[in-house]
Amino acid sequence: MAPSTMDRKRKAVTRDVTELSDVESEAEFGDGLLEGILSQSEDSENESDENEDSDEAEDEEDLDELEDLGSDEIPSEESEDDVEDQNGGLVKSNGKNSRLSDLVHRQAQTKEEKEDKPNYTVTTDANGGERYVYEEIDPVYDSDDSDAPVTTNTVGNIPLTFYDSYPHIGYDINGKKLMRPAKGEALDALLDSIDIPKGWTGLTDPATGKPLNLSQDELEILKRIQTNEMPEEGYDPYPATVEYFTGIEEIMPLSAAPEPKRRFLPSKHEAKRIMKIVRAIREGRILPYKPPEEREDEEEEVHYDIWQDEQPRPDHVMNIPAPKAPPPGYDLSYNPPPEYLPSKSEKQAWDNTDPEDREKEYLPTTHDSLRKVPAYDKFIKERFERSLDLYLAPRVRKNRLNIDPASLLPKLPKPEELKPFPTVCSTLFRGHEGRVRSLAIDPLGVWLASGGDDGTVRVWELLTGRQLWSANIGDEEAVNVVRWRPGRDAVILSAAAGEDIYLLVPPVVDPETETASRDLLDAGFGYATNATQALTANGQKKEPVAKWTRPGFRLEDEGVLIKITVRTTVKVISWHRRGDFFSTVSPTAQKSAVAIHTLSKHLTQIPFRRLPGIPQTVQFHPSRPLFFVATQRTIRSYDLQKQELVKIIQPGARWISSFDIHPGGDNLIVGSYDRRLLWHDLDLSTRPYKTMRFHSKAIRAVKYHKGGFPLFADASDDGSLQIFHGKVVSDMMENATIVPVKVLKGHKVKSALGVMDIDWHPREPWCVSAGADGTCRLWM
Amino acid sequence: MGRIKKKGVTGQAKNFITRTQAVRKLQISLPDFRKLCIWKGIYPREPRNRKKAAKNSSHSTTFYYTKDIQYLLHEPLLQKFRDQKALEKKISKALGRGDAHDAQRLERNANRPEKTGKTKYTLDHVIRERYPTFVDALRDLDDCLSMLFLFANLPSTDTVPAKMIARCERLCLEFEHYLIVSHSLRKSFLSIKGIYYQATIQGQDILWLVPYRFNQRVTGDVDFRIMGTFVEFYQTLLGFVNFRLYTSIGLVYPPKFDQTRDDLGAELGAFSLEGNGIGAIEQPKQITNGKTAKPDPKLQKEIDKLMLRLNEPEKEAQEPATSQTLAAEDEDEEEEPTETIDKFEPAAPGGDILLQPSYSATDPSTLFSNFTFFLSRETPRQPLEFILRAFGCKRIGWDAVLGDGAFTTNELDPSITHQVVDRPPIQLPSDAEEETEDNQTSQRIRPGARVPGRTYVQPQWVWDSVNDEELKRPDIYAPGASLPPHLSPFVKKVRGQYDPTAPLNEQEREDEELEVDSDAESDASDDDLAVQAPKLLTIEEVDATAEGMDVAGSDDDGSDDAEEDVEFGGFSDADEEEEDEGVSEALQRQRELEAEATGVQLEEKEVDPRAKAKVDARKKAAKKAKEEEEELERAKMMMSRKSRKVLEKMTYSNKRKDVEAEKLRAKRRKIEKSGKGARDV
Repeated sequence: MAPSTMDRKRKAVTRDVTELSDVESEAEFGDGLLEGILSQSEDSENESDENEDSDEAEDEEDLDELEDLGSDEIPSEESEDDVEDQNGGLVKSNGKNSRLSDLVHRQAQTKEEKEDKPNYTVTTDANGGERYVYEEIDPVYDSDDSDAPVTTNTVGNIPLTFYDSYPHIGYDINGKKLMRPAKGEALDALLDSIDIPKGWTGLTDPATGKPLNLSQDELEILKRIQTNEMPEEGYDPYPATVEYFTGIEEIMPLSAAPEPKRRFLPSKHEAKRIMKIVRAIREGRILPYKPPEEREDEEEEVHYDIWQDEQPRPDHVMNIPAPKAPPPGYDLSYNPPPEYLPSKSEKQAWDNTDPEDREKEYLPTTHDSLRKVPAYDKFIKERFERSLDLYLAPRVRKNRLNIDPASLLPKLPKPEELKPFPTVCSTLFRGHEGRVRSLAIDPLGVWLASGGDDGTVRVWELLTGRQLWSANIGDEEAVNVVRWRPGRDAVILSAAAGEDIYLLVPPVVDPETETASRDLLDAGFGYATNATQALTANGQKKEPVAKWTRPGFRLEDEGVLIKITVRTTVKVISWHRRGDFFSTVSPTAQKSAVAIHTLSKHLTQIPFRRLPGIPQTVQFHPSRPLFFVATQRTIRSYDLQKQELVKIIQPGARWISSFDIHPGGDNLIVGSYDRRLLWHDLDLSTRPYKTMRFHSKAIRAVKYHKGGFPLFADASDDGSLQIFHGKVVSDMMENATIVPVKVLKGHKVKSALGVMDIDWHPREPWCVSAGADGTCRLWM
Repeated sequence: MGRIKKKGVTGQAKNFITRTQAVRKLQISLPDFRKLCIWKGIYPREPRNRKKAAKNSSHSTTFYYTKDIQYLLHEPLLQKFRDQKALEKKISKALGRGDAHDAQRLERNANRPEKTGKTKYTLDHVIRERYPTFVDALRDLDDCLSMLFLFANLPSTDTVPAKMIARCERLCLEFEHYLIVSHSLRKSFLSIKGIYYQATIQGQDILWLVPYRFNQRVTGDVDFRIMGTFVEFYQTLLGFVNFRLYTSIGLVYPPKFDQTRDDLGAELGAFSLEGNGIGAIEQPKQITNGKTAKPDPKLQKEIDKLMLRLNEPEKEAQEPATSQTLAAEDEDEEEEPTETIDKFEPAAPGGDILLQPSYSATDPSTLFSNFTFFLSRETPRQPLEFILRAFGCKRIGWDAVLGDGAFTTNELDPSITHQVVDRPPIQLPSDAEEETEDNQTSQRIRPGARVPGRTYVQPQWVWDSVNDEELKRPDIYAPGASLPPHLSPFVKKVRGQYDPTAPLNEQEREDEELEVDSDAESDASDDDLAVQAPKLLTIEEVDATAEGMDVAGSDDDGSDDAEEDVEFGGFSDADEEEEDEGVSEALQRQRELEAEATGVQLEEKEVDPRAKAKVDARKKAAKKAKEEEEELERAKMMMSRKSRKVLEKMTYSNKRKDVEAEKLRAKRRKIEKSGKGARDV
């Protein structure tokens, strides 16, 4: 406030002078640089002092002006001084702005001089004459254009901040520096003392660097904008229309066409469309838009019976239902029996194994009360793994045999049920030199007949092993086969050695039976002599296939009654059950290999003209008129009455050695040289029902027990007999039970031959065997 | 000559499809495929020949059945998945554009089950397809229940929303309510993993596992998204099953659920069942805790006296009492026509015996029906409440801290007949004991004190009674007593397997004992089970304290007999001749053991005959074994090679089981021996 008071003081003291300067400045510095500031100050002064001395000031001004008119120069000097004083005061107060004030001072000076002095200077020219040198003429460019703003600064549209570090703020039209207007503390102090003038914005005009003030007009515009009026004064937004097309109806219309109906009738089409929408709204097809309301906590789920109309659907074949989790065992209990608790070593072993390798994922633990049971820490893990298993584990149907393995074992009868069967060798029959080729027990079960390589037929007492009778029939030939005639009415033994078949009545029986037997054998001679000889095609007598003759006195004395001579060596004799027929096989004969002999007629027939292979052995069916012929590979059964082939049985063996028919007639066993023993069920198939390969060498003979025991046996070259239990049930559905029961060893193997023949006792579970070691054995 | 067959168009090559191929065919992402597989029950297969199934050389791991995948192609859910995928794409696009409003609008249609607990799709049709009949659904309920009961006990996380847990809990409780009303719970088992329950509904056995009420340990390797998918399906399934079960017994399905009571921890009590049309099913439970909170002491005394007098005859024979009452009831019922099967007895000899389903002595629904239980606060309330109610108990009280819904919270309620306690007994001062004995005058119950006139049992009593379908002797299960082993009721007895309930000599091989004897004798002296002796003592102690129970039981009789035998042991020579072989063997063993325990002097007398007998027995056994072996060999000889191999495989696994059983038997023998030895000494 100091400057203002000073100002006032000065006013008061040197009143005239200040007034004068004020007037001068007003008059002369009209467009000066300091105009704004000064005028401001004046205004503010005026405002502050208005009430007191406005009138006085006006009066004084008038007076001063009058005085000025009278005296030009002096006051100007005085005013100059005054200004100097004033500026000096400013300088004193504000050292920074001293230069600026100097500038102001100089300018003022030049202007004053310009006004006062003539616009030329008088100098002397070269001639010494007077020469008027005129000042340069100020062209005053803007004199014509009053509208264009007076641009004093020529720097253009750039921010004034570029000049911040310079004392000037740009250049005028003449390239003179425009000095920065006064600013700063001194001015601030001054400004503080004065009020905000009208039109003051506080902004700086970027073009000039001076404060930007709004003029009255501009203020007015702003005012109008604020009050929502048109900014331009006197703008009429609604001017009266200037009619350029008259609304007055002319007398003559432009078109003579009558006005169309659509101009005054409502549109039907539109009505239709509207009605369509109306109807849709009424029917609810069009719903007026409603914003979807927020559905909050609609907990109500729909519950209904999803299985209301359930229909069982058979499971798909490929579907494998997930296996259920196994139920917990005893060891999972919170309080298991103490034996389930792991011992120390088990626990350690469990701890040491990797969790993946553990058999159980838990270790049985005991808690003496329920409250001490902790949470199971792997609960979630296990459930998670179960869910993984459910959807991720490949499923495969495994036939896990969850059955008792004992049930897999074949249902065997108990050993007690299987008994009796031969187990030990009870009697040894010694006497034969060389191999015993064949043996047979007579139908009564008392005697044993045997024949061997030494050409003798011997009859033994079965139980004691005593030789009762012997006859040398073969001379040089071995006795290949001995067989008893079935039936109890007579005791007749048949034996074959070489090409000859002998029928014998050993003198071991009581005389009545012996005579009966002899009669039976001799009865046929009458037929033989009476029979007409068959003739060949060319009228010659046909060669008989066999000759029935007496063997000679030597043999007749010994009991050999009939000799039948055939063409080749006879290997097999097989009796029909009635004892009237018997069949022989001589494998080497081609056509006449199989011959059937009729005892009562002393007749020999050749049933087969041609055979499919080399016949090995033959058998009569035990009850029906069937005849079985075994060749090397197959067994054929023929109906003797119808004279036709019934069945071909294919055991699959390479070389059949022997076969036997079950007394029931529906099963047969086959032995073969390739070590197989085959059981055939004739009703079942032509293929074997069971194949047994328990021998290491060829099987020579097989035989069923014919006296009611379900037994059969085979004899093999490995020196052993095998006894089997073979039960045949009359039930068609049930298969035969075959159980191996015993291996009988005792015969010695001689030159790769072991047991040659075997036979069963007709009533007891005993069997006899003929060995290549020259002995026979009775097993019981 | 036929046409040359192309490779890979028939058979396994066509029947199986790898997972990658399947996903590509369905045009969905792998997680969506996983979801579909879980819901539709589609699982990988193991082709018989992997090489044929895999068309290319690379090793693919998972094969699916091609028809399964074809079947998935028509799945409506597949469309839902695709829609959802498109929507997600739109949302992400909108967010990318910065169009929050649009994204928000789309978000409303999106499927966010983890937030809302609801999905935009339903699995109803899947349920119907997978389970064409209700029985099919029941058959598959095991995993469903186990999973839902687990989730009902889980803490809520961002992967397991709270709504899911609440829904699981509700469904489980509803199912439990059905079991209670229909009495179809059959068995239960306390295992170290949790509690197993087995119910039989429409002939289907359903077994599930409920964890103990603890915070479950969640490990990082558990993917809750997969579990969540399962839970989603199982929730739908159990919802429908519950509906069907409820309506089948004449109840309205969503039973009324009281949120306030549930908040108080009522659990089962928060539901109130309503009848379909007949009216509300009678609710047996009424809460009387307000009324009997403070009984008049005088009146109480009178009542107690009365009760005591009333209980007196019962007390003498508590065990038969229940059966008697039951029997009496049965007699009454006999007059009425019943739907049960009548028992056929042969009137005359000579007829065939026809099998009939076996009778259980007691109806499971009436096992606990006459009792009032009180659960101490240390017992697990929820399983006990469930199992008791499922077996006919109508009045169950418990301590107030265990939650709402109790019949009574007053421990002194005179109507309580049984109290389930699971805390060790505290040694009472002698005067207190007297006091309790001479008619309780005190109203407040001291810790460790007993209210007379009621039976105190440990929780295992409930489970063992339920599993055996008869009330077990409570004195064995008295508080503080060492409990008998808790056995799993789910184990089927298989011949040859070890059975802890049967005596040892019944199940072991005849020679097994003899075999073990020799080495057992040597190490019998260092028995480590001296622990047994104090345990036995505590039982006797407890017997003394547990009043109202008759102490003399069959168990003790057995031990008494054994003791007598010890006394008689000296002159048993004469008896030995009389007895036949089979019996003498067992007796021999018995004597041996006893003599061993008592001392050596007894042995001196009997050394010779016993040793001889032993040798004889051993010989006999060896002979028998040999014979058996021979027979087996004979039988094997008759088998084809193929079946013989199968047999050998089977006998291998059986042999392993046998070895295990033998180990258990050996352990038990040792324990028994040492236990007996300790006892005799």
